[in-house]
Amino acid sequence: MLSANLLEKRIQIAGLFLIAGLLVEALCLFWALPITFVVFTAAGGLLMFIGIAIFLYSLLSTN
Amino acid sequence: MSVTTGLIIGIVLFSVILIGILVARPAVTLSRGGKMLAFVALFILPIFSGLLGFASEMERSKTTAFCLSCHTMEAYGKSLYVDDPTHIPAAHYQNHRVPKDQACYSCHTQYAMFGTLRVKLYGLKHVLIYYLGKPPAPEDIKLYEPYNNRECLHCHAGARSFEEGAMHNADPATLPAIKSNQLSCLSCHDVAHDIAHLKDAKFWKGSVN
Repeated sequence: MLSANLLEKRIQIAGLFLIAGLLVEALCLFWALPITFVVFTAAGGLLMFIGIAIFLYSLLSTN
Repeated sequence: MSVTTGLIIGIVLFSVILIGILVARPAVTLSRGGKMLAFVALFILPIFSGLLGFASEMERSKTTAFCLSCHTMEAYGKSLYVDDPTHIPAAHYQNHRVPKDQACYSCHTQYAMFGTLRVKLYGLKHVLIYYLGKPPAPEDIKLYEPYNNRECLHCHAGARSFEEGAMHNADPATLPAIKSNQLSCLSCHDVAHDIAHLKDAKFWKGSVN
């Protein structure tokens, strides 16, 4: 069983990764250039994947 | 910015605000309602926003402006305005045989399963070469493989001008050979993006839109 404090910490870390990923995504949508497509998929996608993975891991750890 | 893009950015910013609340006050996730909020904000909304954004990026990557934003492609964009009806890309572009805003993609995608994905992977390679390598001179750019008639037949198959064209029917073997890709369309319609002679070409000034 995960302590509430550790769970909160993980949710905060997951949230920060997701905020970073979403902001990268939002910024990329302002330009229609090949480089923004790459940044969107590589950087934005990776940050969001890490954020979601940490959140799901924290959910599994609570059981 | 289009309405769709604005809407997606709105959803993304809404997600950021919700996640920001959870980051600032993680203790709310201890309650049942807080757990549901966390699941929506940290799982459902990011996936939804990511998919919407990706779909938007994919659509934008099909536009003529997107392809021509690379300096290397400028000459190819210019070749769409060549004033010569035998210049295949120019004739297609100027006569709206391809959508003007998706001119490159219409002929340079592969009308096969995973064709879009395959050409986008090529595009990814091009971006890496453009920024990290040495891009070739425009006149040195070659197709990865011989142009497949499938891409022409996607529109022309069944069209009267193609099926009943005098040259296409001069020999009964010609039409089946074209349809089976044994005889390339480019073996007769052979002027496509003649970049090497672009400086001597005459350009159509009828429309810039």
